[in-house]
Amino acid sequence: MTPVNFYIYISLALFPITDIFVISMDISENHENLKHELKEKLKCVSSRQDLEKIKLEYIGKKGILNQLFSKMTDLAANERKDFGARLNVLKNEIETIINDFSNNFSQPNTSEYDELYNSLPGKKPEIGHTHIITQAIREIVDIFKPLGFTRVRYPEVDWEYFAFEALNMPEDHPARDDWETFFVDLPFDKKMGRVVLTPHTSNGQVREMLKGKLPIRMLNISRCGRRQIDISHGPTFFQFEGLVVDKNINTTHLKGVLNYFAKNFFGPDRKIRLRPYDFRFTEPSFEVDIDCGMCHGKGCKLCKGGWHELGGAGMVHPNVLKAGGIDPEKYSGFAFGWGVERTYMMKSGTKIDDIRHIFANDLRFLEQF
Amino acid sequence: MNVLIPYSWIKDYIKTNADAKEAARILSLHCFSVERINKVNGDDVLEVEVTPNRGDALSVIGIARELNVVLPRNGFKCEWVGKKSEVFHPASTDDCLEAVIKDKTLVPRFCAVVLSNVKIGESPQKIKARLESVGIRTLGNVIDVTNYMMIDKGQPMHAFDYDKIEGHKMIVRESKEGEKVVTLDGVERKLPEGVIVIEDGSGRLIDLCGIMGAKNSEVDESTKKVLLFVQAYDPVRIRKASMSLGHRTEAALRFEKGIDFEGIIPALYDSVEMLHEIAGAEVSSDLIDIKNVERNVKSIPVDYEKINKIAGIDIKPEVVDQTLSDLGFENRNGFVVVPSWRYEDIEITEDLAEEVIRIYGYHNLPGRLLTGEIPVTERDDSYYWEDVVKDLLKHLGFFECYTYSCTKKENVSATALKIVNPLSEDLLYLKTSLLPQLVEVLDKNQSYRDKIKLFELSSVYFSNGKDLPLQQQFLGIVTKGIVKIELRGILEVIGDEMGIQDDSPFEISDFGNGKFGVEINFEELVKKATKEKTYIPLTNFNSIKEDLTFSIPRGVLYPQVRSLILDSDERIYKLGFKDIYKNALTFAIEYLDREKQISSEDTQEIRKKIFEKLEKIGVRLKV
Repeated sequence: MTPVNFYIYISLALFPITDIFVISMDISENHENLKHELKEKLKCVSSRQDLEKIKLEYIGKKGILNQLFSKMTDLAANERKDFGARLNVLKNEIETIINDFSNNFSQPNTSEYDELYNSLPGKKPEIGHTHIITQAIREIVDIFKPLGFTRVRYPEVDWEYFAFEALNMPEDHPARDDWETFFVDLPFDKKMGRVVLTPHTSNGQVREMLKGKLPIRMLNISRCGRRQIDISHGPTFFQFEGLVVDKNINTTHLKGVLNYFAKNFFGPDRKIRLRPYDFRFTEPSFEVDIDCGMCHGKGCKLCKGGWHELGGAGMVHPNVLKAGGIDPEKYSGFAFGWGVERTYMMKSGTKIDDIRHIFANDLRFLEQF
Repeated sequence: MNVLIPYSWIKDYIKTNADAKEAARILSLHCFSVERINKVNGDDVLEVEVTPNRGDALSVIGIARELNVVLPRNGFKCEWVGKKSEVFHPASTDDCLEAVIKDKTLVPRFCAVVLSNVKIGESPQKIKARLESVGIRTLGNVIDVTNYMMIDKGQPMHAFDYDKIEGHKMIVRESKEGEKVVTLDGVERKLPEGVIVIEDGSGRLIDLCGIMGAKNSEVDESTKKVLLFVQAYDPVRIRKASMSLGHRTEAALRFEKGIDFEGIIPALYDSVEMLHEIAGAEVSSDLIDIKNVERNVKSIPVDYEKINKIAGIDIKPEVVDQTLSDLGFENRNGFVVVPSWRYEDIEITEDLAEEVIRIYGYHNLPGRLLTGEIPVTERDDSYYWEDVVKDLLKHLGFFECYTYSCTKKENVSATALKIVNPLSEDLLYLKTSLLPQLVEVLDKNQSYRDKIKLFELSSVYFSNGKDLPLQQQFLGIVTKGIVKIELRGILEVIGDEMGIQDDSPFEISDFGNGKFGVEINFEELVKKATKEKTYIPLTNFNSIKEDLTFSIPRGVLYPQVRSLILDSDERIYKLGFKDIYKNALTFAIEYLDREKQISSEDTQEIRKKIFEKLEKIGVRLKV
């Protein structure tokens, strides 16, 4: 609906003209209204077409004036004369208003190329792109914020102590192999161990606990590093880690929060499931799956039996709480740590087939986000 | 670790009305993820991802045990039909083996038996087909049986040619650095120190324990007597050896996860029975069973309340008891005894809770949002300013990039920290500047368009003695195809947006070919930023605007001229750089009097003051 039509629609509602007008006692007042309304309408005219429409509406064959003239036959003879005279005056006035307007009306930018010009797109200012990782992080932060989670950042290059020992992964534990950690050429510290590129954001768990403030609702988003490059791993990647520590935190809270995240991030029709898993720093531990966006859980070429692994989660292991100076008899908690890129790639319709694109910085890729 | 488990094989242990697909679904929900089901020769072979703590489940019996617990809880019939292992009766005890174990921790349990009259040949079709379906090559009946038992019971075993063991003597010890052994695959392996090996009576190494047997003692077509060898080794040593040799065999992967101590003898019994059936083997020695480690009964108190606290729902004590007992835990007055196959894995109440809740089903738990106190935290403004700057730059036409944390030597400063185990030379150092990698991105994308503007907001890492490196967020900006003054303008806009008063300029690096770059310590920048805005009252008087062009002599710089003009009169409301041509510098000036309407006479007066001030440094109005 164009603005002009919209206006007419409104005005008809405000000034019901035809029938009520005829039986109205004060003819002249109605004539004034009619003229006023016409003037208002003309103010909104922006093209010749609009003007022609108004002409037809008022002085066309089936226009308002002719309709009024046709009502004359319903009147008694003595009334008819007076009514006719007034109507003729009105007709002259209306024609004058329209003609005056028409003479002075010049359509902006009218030219023979109008049609072509109007078919052109707008001239866009040149706008860049925030990176897909930034966009994902913002969305993640936005989703967790209403639940009282606060974003933090901990060292990307950290001591083995925080990356492993404090997380119940002693030296020589096979679990440490799975992380394929990069080591930095710095001296070994008796207490803290070697310096590593943190292989996960879980290094923030005990650091957050050691701040000494309870309860905890932490959202740690940071760069990590692992010795892996393939279709689904890069040597640098981002993780987001949630940590909740409070009294009476249990598995149903973990499930509720992750479900809330999944519905908000992936869409209300997507589902998650928790599967048993084994991590040293949580007990019980879970692997969290999201149903496949392509086949919706039926199973297809892209997924594992209808599901994609999102990442790990679990109830914080009592030894980790102890390392953070928290009494596991009084407090409990849950944690999860997932890859930002990986999680983004699970969104319906993203269709990124290789995680390495994300750090390749090809502008043809980045401009798509 | 993923294992292949044929569904028909599982049915040696359980009788159920669940089909493979249903079993896989239920197994995934309660136990282990079944990643796919492969059809092999008409059988459904489950590919199961067994979690690292569950070495016991790297076997058909292990998976069957789990299914026997979970299938009935999901509405399927399931009955245990696994056969008990039969104790063997030696035909003779003529043969013997002298075992010398140097260090008891090397081999917690050492079991063996000698078999005579062995007729080497092919295995029956059923065994061949089952091995084939899990991807194991058939290598004759004796070897096939050892492999079969590894899949069936999760117990790796080895068969020696008894007559090739010199002196029928074995010395179990750790290797010395540089010792060599040729393994069954024909590869000569030079050993590091500390690998568990076996030396025979003549001093030859005849086994790379837990990883692969040696060629010199292998079973071949002429073998008559077999030493069947079933052990539990020290998992840590096996893992280290297997890793450092780069030889990750199926046997090693199982040994390093720990072996069911009480499963060794049944596995040995079963294989003796099979070898008797398919190779005519007769036992010709006593059972050798040396326990080097005494395993105490491990019992854990069942804390029902804690289990419920962890679960967040009410699981009745009867249900807890039943679940644990179905999983093989023996209930003894409020304590449970951990089954031998879970000995290493179950330690504390939380472990029991995990068992109970997973069998109950995580999918059967409700989800609840958090209640309780909301933590009071101090807002960290750096995230706010990150967003402001990123959005600003985006709207100014910039592409945001993220580059790797590590880079090559040419890209870093002399004090950069080195990675001990890099993936490649290109990822050898922690980056000390964002710019080199961003310039690389610029070069890589040069055909994208004429003007390219990139930024990255990421950490750089500076050496900090023995301590953790300093790691601060830096903002790196690189451009191509825009003039320097335009880049400077962008930097000033960043300052404006962040409310930064201090306008000390940023250093712009010239990378040649129209490429410029700037790097800013973002954390320092944030310290200067403010969200505070102060309102200057508006006046109803109009200002007067004009442009003035001055001719600037050599040696005079913009800031000096600017501050002289501003100092001339307080009615100079705004002063901006407008244009420059050669040394003709144009300012846009706005005059405003807050007390009264400013007149052209007033501006004339101000202008005169300006000219006087500038005259002193040789700056004159351009006419």
